[in-house]
Amino acid sequence: MMLGRVIGEVWATRKNPRIEGRKALLVAALAQDGDRRTPTGEVVVAFDSVGARIGHVVTVTWGSGARAVFSGPDNRWVLVDAAVARIVDAVSVERDGKEVEERED
Amino acid sequence: MILGRMVGTVWATRKNPRLENFKLAIVRPYFWYNPSHDVEHVIAVDQVGAEVGQDVLVCVGQPGRWVAGDSRCPIEASVMAIVDSVEIERGTENAPVAPFALRSRFLPTTLVRVGDGGSTARDAGLHETDGGTP
Repeated sequence: MMLGRVIGEVWATRKNPRIEGRKALLVAALAQDGDRRTPTGEVVVAFDSVGARIGHVVTVTWGSGARAVFSGPDNRWVLVDAAVARIVDAVSVERDGKEVEERED
Repeated sequence: MILGRMVGTVWATRKNPRLENFKLAIVRPYFWYNPSHDVEHVIAVDQVGAEVGQDVLVCVGQPGRWVAGDSRCPIEASVMAIVDSVEIERGTENAPVAPFALRSRFLPTTLVRVGDGGSTARDAGLHETDGGTP
């Protein structure tokens, strides 16, 4: 999984029917550098499953984990390789040997 | 998934029988994650009917293989959708700390900037149209 920030959306009309109704989000990867969080420059397109909006810090899951997010009776046919799995409320990091919690606004 | 622009097509006569009837598109990603090859393109099966110059979404790995309906096909990427527009948070694409690999390459022709009042930005016609050529 990856920590990232939603920076945009992708709209498409002509698409494979097996991704019909999914919202595609642009997520910029974030690196936790001590207590600072900096964008790595990597951007991934992931389907939304939790109603994330631009500005939200989210986690993105890949591969069969992404498929599990959209699991259903026929989940084998959900064509997804990356999914936004949760919206992050807070991140705990260790700083000077202590655990510090940082909340998202 | 990968957002990229279709820049070409691959034609082949002698090929694996499981690749029969598939159109192969050359896609140049605007960005991708964890590149396993040091090249700036990916070849994807196209069943959506994309044309050269269009922005597309490419699905990689096992899910990309399933578009064929047969997981034994030698496919690792496929075109999922033809992109109408990309909306990006205002300021992100020009931020000083390169948060966005788009900045260092070229911008999608379909880029729309949103921000405080996304609909306003769209109505005002703030469309990015001078994205570079691939």
